Amino acid sequence: MIKNIILPLALLATAQTAMAQADPELDDVQLDSIFRHYELEEVVVTGTRTPKFLKDTPIQTRVITSRDIARTDATNVQDLLQQELPGVEFSYSMNQRTHLNFAGFGGQGILFLVDGERLAGESMDDVDFSRLLMAGVERIEIVKGASSALYGSSAAGGVVNIITKNATEPWTLNLNARYAKHNDQRYGGVFGLSSKHWRNAFSANYHNKDNYNVTSAANPVTRVISTIYGERTVDFKDKLTWRPSDRLSIGARAGYFFRETTRTVNLPERYRDFSGGLRLDWLITKDDNLQASYAFDQYDKSDYQQLRHLDIRDYSNVQNTVRLLYNHSFGETAMLTVGADYMHDYLFNTYLAGAAREQDCYDVFAQYDWNITDKLEAVAAVRYDYFSDQSNSQLTPKLNLRYKPNHRLVLRAGYGMGFRAPSLKERYYNFDMAGIWIVEGNENLKAEKSHNFTLSAEYSRANCSLAVSAYYNNVINKISTSAPYFKSIEDKLPYLPYTNLANYRVFGADVSMQARWQNGISARLSYAHTKERLPKDKDGNTINNQYIPARAHALNANVDYDHQFTKRYGIYASLNGRLLSGTENVEFKNYYDVTEGTVRVKYPAYTLWKLSLTQRVGKAVSITTALDNLFNYRPKHYYLNAPLTDGITLQVGVSIDVDKLF
Amino acid sequence: MIKKAILLAVATVSIHMLTACNGIFDDIYDQPKPVVPAKGQLVIDATSWTDWYYVDLPRLQRLAEEGDEDALLKAQSEFEKHPIPFTLSEGKGDGRSGQYLYWFDVWGEGIQNNEFRQFTETDAQQDPEEWSFAVHRNNVRTNGGAVYETQYTSFDQLPESSTEFANKEFTADEWSENEVWSSKEQMLLSLVPSQGININKVLSSWLEFKFNVPPDYKPNKHVFILRLADGTYAALQLADFISPEGKKCFLTINYKYPY
Repeated sequence: MIKNIILPLALLATAQTAMAQADPELDDVQLDSIFRHYELEEVVVTGTRTPKFLKDTPIQTRVITSRDIARTDATNVQDLLQQELPGVEFSYSMNQRTHLNFAGFGGQGILFLVDGERLAGESMDDVDFSRLLMAGVERIEIVKGASSALYGSSAAGGVVNIITKNATEPWTLNLNARYAKHNDQRYGGVFGLSSKHWRNAFSANYHNKDNYNVTSAANPVTRVISTIYGERTVDFKDKLTWRPSDRLSIGARAGYFFRETTRTVNLPERYRDFSGGLRLDWLITKDDNLQASYAFDQYDKSDYQQLRHLDIRDYSNVQNTVRLLYNHSFGETAMLTVGADYMHDYLFNTYLAGAAREQDCYDVFAQYDWNITDKLEAVAAVRYDYFSDQSNSQLTPKLNLRYKPNHRLVLRAGYGMGFRAPSLKERYYNFDMAGIWIVEGNENLKAEKSHNFTLSAEYSRANCSLAVSAYYNNVINKISTSAPYFKSIEDKLPYLPYTNLANYRVFGADVSMQARWQNGISARLSYAHTKERLPKDKDGNTINNQYIPARAHALNANVDYDHQFTKRYGIYASLNGRLLSGTENVEFKNYYDVTEGTVRVKYPAYTLWKLSLTQRVGKAVSITTALDNLFNYRPKHYYLNAPLTDGITLQVGVSIDVDKLF
Repeated sequence: MIKKAILLAVATVSIHMLTACNGIFDDIYDQPKPVVPAKGQLVIDATSWTDWYYVDLPRLQRLAEEGDEDALLKAQSEFEKHPIPFTLSEGKGDGRSGQYLYWFDVWGEGIQNNEFRQFTETDAQQDPEEWSFAVHRNNVRTNGGAVYETQYTSFDQLPESSTEFANKEFTADEWSENEVWSSKEQMLLSLVPSQGININKVLSSWLEFKFNVPPDYKPNKHVFILRLADGTYAALQLADFISPEGKKCFLTINYKYPY
């Protein structure tokens, strides 16, 4: 019990940023998450907004460490999550934008944070996953279940918090490169400097992958794609921290991201993000800690007319956020967290009625973390959000319990309310989609609310561990596009309005087993079951589901072998596979006459495997060779949720820690 | 000193951002500008699904010879248009002109896989008295002419005289009933009506259309030689197909007439 309280304070005392950083002592340990259930000194911050040992946190949290990230050789969060987690699927939306389905929740139900801050911009409801690069990431914390009581809107399905690295050594420099087919080139560098009072981490990355065509067999049952679009991205980030004393830390950060995707010759689409922020962490007394922060994020979209050298912007989302967060510990038994945010949300979109809209968002929240006994802990939180647009407000509570009958078993139970405020786009959009239909905003949309219940158990013993969890979500007033309709007989195009649907329910269960042996072999098997009950409209009519539903069964399997042959040579070999069951979607037979009803379209199952070998040469150099899609799987039909592959791919990469050469 | 500089930079960036509720770096973007045709260029807004736009090359030649710069500039960007007929006037049917409804495999194998579904007879296309070629989105017709596609990608590479092409095989217009798409109102059902009409398939290849979301257009940079009905020649090249606002089939065409 004491440790539960001391740990956060110890971390706060070193002015570690509660939302953004790990314990530096742990940086060197490089814990492999495969042992996280029994090498349990990892610290997580997302579930309660305060640092907690992973083994003790009352909110079940999945952690992907920097070592896991290095081993998967992932470029961005999309690469990583689908390799690491079952039940996570990235597919295409109708216009071939990347869409996430995470255990039944899409991009508007899973809140992505970077160092605890929201991201501006979306396309077809999802943030730009390409900008969430894995270079310079310390770890990723994933909390499933409604977290709106701490994080507000759009956290009904959970939170994915990407935590970036801080410099801890006097200097470090990593340079890396990777090459694969389709001119897939990736180059990156991370440069860190650290002194007694100053730290700076700078990263720069470049990635290119060309478009390539794929061919489907005859007679597809629904839409197939013929081109898989590549991208060219450039990314710079810098994070500076000044620690004038052990009690005070002031940080500043700035970042720039650029992506170019060419769907039309001579007219590439461009995406840019400008981000920055300031942050103060102040340990006022041994029991009191204050955090103040300001975050800026601007996400722009433009079309570049190459022949005329004109870069015409058609979208911009700007978010300015100010936050105060205060922690107070009551002796050794409890901690109170209170906080407040103000966010100004600005949206410019040429398809928006009035072209630009803005609103102010305010919230206050409080959390009480009580260690009732050595074995039992309860955390309760409540939050009030207010949105100036349409004067929308929402109160969301949350309660979690952790019971630890012995040091091997942890039981958790939780209830959380989730909500999602209608976005400015969903309220004011008016978009003629390629002359097919007009996507129409709805000013009268209500907030989407959800009730989430979770149960979980984790058991660890000797060299193995087992985790089981189950959850149930009931989403009320789910915001989605509804059935197309004609306003009048003169209309040539149907309108596709945003609306609140009737209840949407999703049930899920996860099982994860892992083990490690002395001979260097380790294994992990994770299974996720997701059962979506698709929503109907308020009149009980079956409607066309906007996105393809989750696959009911997903399995990820991983076997690793790690061995150091000599002082200067070692290897890490890994076989990683994922299996996804088929799924069905409800689609209209006739989009111009929905009275003809719907049809169930079946999407097939598939499996993909990746074999990789990393050779460590000396302390500084590692060479990774991987065969992605090992069994050369090629979808018969490239449906929107088919894996984006045209067969086996050889990847070759090298990483050099320049500072370790000397 | 370095620390002060860093702090100053941080403060400057912070102040800049705090005052940037509606965004920063606006000036890295451009505003759409009207396209003014250069010498030897035509600018045609052919984005309409229901109109043909007619180009009269001898008239452009006359205006150039007369030295009336204003009239020439106007003629390079303003064109006579005639709508695609959708109705049949009494006694005007020729049994062939009309709207041909085809099913296209737009969501599957692609629009090359298509089947005829229905024919609705309409009036024949009305043309002006004088014209050389006409455009409708990515489709081109000639007035009794024929076209040869060269491998040149610039007028500078062309031979001095068109006589170099005299022995080449020129392609005349051919009948088409599933390429001049005239409506997208049933496209979600994969049904698209087209005007039945003669088009020049060689010259139309300067802008290849592939159905996708968003629709995909692939321009062909080659110079095309148009032999007019009177035996004169013109060189044509599609320079651009995007409007200042980003609309497709807003054509900028390089021309050389007589060639």
